[in-house]
Amino acid sequence: MSINAPFLRIGIRSSGMASWAMLMLMVPCTIYSILYHSPFIFQLIGYALLGMLAEAVFTLVVKRKRRLLNMGSGLTAALIAASVPPSMPFLPMLFAILIAICMVKLPMVGLPLRFNAAMAGRLFLMMVYPSQVVNWGTPSADVISCATPQELYKWEKTPLEYAEWLFGTIGGKWEDLYLLVPGSPCETFPLLMLLLGILLCWKGISPWRTPAAFLLSFGVTTALFGNAPLYNMLSAATLFSALFIISDPVSTPMSKSGKIACGIIIGVSNAMIRNYTFYTEAIVYAVLIGNLCAPLLDRIAFSAQGWNLNRRV
Amino acid sequence: MLRRIKIDWADLPNAQTLETPFPKPERIYPGLDEIDPETFSDFLDEIGLVGMGGSGFPTSEKIRAGLGAHTLVMNGVECEPGITIDQSVLIHESLWVAAGANACAKAIGATRVVLAVKDDADFIIELQKRYGEFDIIPFPNRYPAGAEKLILKKLTGTIPPPGVRPYQLGYLVQNVVSLRAIGRAIIDGIPVVERPLTLAMPSTGFYKNIIVPVGLSIREVLDTYKLPYDPSMHLIADSGLMMGHEVGLEESIEKTTLSILILNRDTAGREERPCIRCGACNTACPLGLHPFSLVDLIKKEKTKSPAFKAQMNECFLCGVCSAVCPSDIPLVNTLAEGKKCL
Repeated sequence: MSINAPFLRIGIRSSGMASWAMLMLMVPCTIYSILYHSPFIFQLIGYALLGMLAEAVFTLVVKRKRRLLNMGSGLTAALIAASVPPSMPFLPMLFAILIAICMVKLPMVGLPLRFNAAMAGRLFLMMVYPSQVVNWGTPSADVISCATPQELYKWEKTPLEYAEWLFGTIGGKWEDLYLLVPGSPCETFPLLMLLLGILLCWKGISPWRTPAAFLLSFGVTTALFGNAPLYNMLSAATLFSALFIISDPVSTPMSKSGKIACGIIIGVSNAMIRNYTFYTEAIVYAVLIGNLCAPLLDRIAFSAQGWNLNRRV
Repeated sequence: MLRRIKIDWADLPNAQTLETPFPKPERIYPGLDEIDPETFSDFLDEIGLVGMGGSGFPTSEKIRAGLGAHTLVMNGVECEPGITIDQSVLIHESLWVAAGANACAKAIGATRVVLAVKDDADFIIELQKRYGEFDIIPFPNRYPAGAEKLILKKLTGTIPPPGVRPYQLGYLVQNVVSLRAIGRAIIDGIPVVERPLTLAMPSTGFYKNIIVPVGLSIREVLDTYKLPYDPSMHLIADSGLMMGHEVGLEESIEKTTLSILILNRDTAGREERPCIRCGACNTACPLGLHPFSLVDLIKKEKTKSPAFKAQMNECFLCGVCSAVCPSDIPLVNTLAEGKKCL
């Protein structure tokens, strides 16, 4: 068989390589959270191995080509583990990982419509074990500790001054960027996550269009609803989802304009769910809505490009 | 978005050298003293000139069609990674290149001659000593900046529509090696019987720009330099890493051979995996097309829609989409098949 041109390979060489890079980047985020809950790092590694095992079992059952150490599944399992409280029991996590990998991730390989497997597993946890999912730390009498204190925003409708309007009311100053923030294990250090996200996009491992469109549209929509845009944008949960979940190239559209549109859809729906509904974990629903739109956005982008080229003649 | 491609084995300090290991051709007929626009294209037919940038389109046809173009573009933007033959010709054989450019410009009546080169400060200073009378325009050192369409995009501002040839916009694009051949025929009276090319073998660190007689077999060229070629380990790639193809040892050097690269077989091979829909091909395409969507439609034989036809017409098979694909899907081969569906 003759080997065809191009003889040169550039950029990310395989999906496994990208997953390795992402998983390595989760480690610095996690190290900070060890200060809260030290066994977490072993928990994360254990869940990642469990995810790889789930893929191995799946490939055994459907007689696909066997892959023992596939990093994609490991990353999915680690993302589920990192986005729920460390106090989550083992059995719900096992169910969530099995559903994410054996029902959402692997059977849908190669289809135009893909769902973010980590978010699907998270959705299962939220539906079936709601009390454990929101069990963040131990709140005392006058402290509320959660990823983004959005319920406080909602019920405290106090008039805001300009600076406070921009940076937030509830202790939200710039210090929040480099202080420890209570939340799920990977989202305790926002500044580090911002830097890692810039590194990822600069190295071309994850596309920059989706996270950027998400953050911008989310900030603008939050400001329209009268909340503090910068505080919301730079809060740890938003940055974590922008960096590790929304930048997932598999479940977002392929085209450049489609990526931007998908980011805007996720950002706006996230802000709207946070503002108008009582759900606490808006990002899961927003990401799944964005994934649903992906094939349509791709098709629109393809036709629009053809129309653009035809118009020029 | 154009991508910068670094080739470490071609990143030599003195890459722009030129050698003539083979005997020089003899003068066959007297050169041309006076350029007459009416007989000039017949003269090009006589010396047997085809586009030596790789296209192989007869230059005489191009000159005939391009009569009245106001600008002659000398295409020295060598964007194929790892090849420096155009730069070497520009530096070492500036007499012939300049003579060919002037003759071409006179024949078509062009008032302005533009030299398009890679954006490299030292190299441009060298060129300014030799080509003071031409406009030197730097182009980004990225693949595929040297494609005719992208050069015209920089000069005119828009990508020319498919079917519109550059001379219809008033530009005539000629490769510098073609111009060197014209100058050689005018001054020395030697037809197109030699071909400058890059000969490289990365595994041994061998890298040379040489002038080879057309028609010599590749085996003879390799024997001259005693390169350790082993058919089971190495493969010979003709005309560059991105747009080239594999050739055999007995095939001959043609007028359109840009380079001969001897690569390791194990690093060049690849295995196709299912698409993960990451969109790397969309991001990398220099024209903003949707390569995977096109390939998907070609495989399903849904090739009738206007959007498909418009994009397929635009594609010039540069191969960037295949090179960046993380799943190693040979996108550009399927796109070449799709060109036939139009």
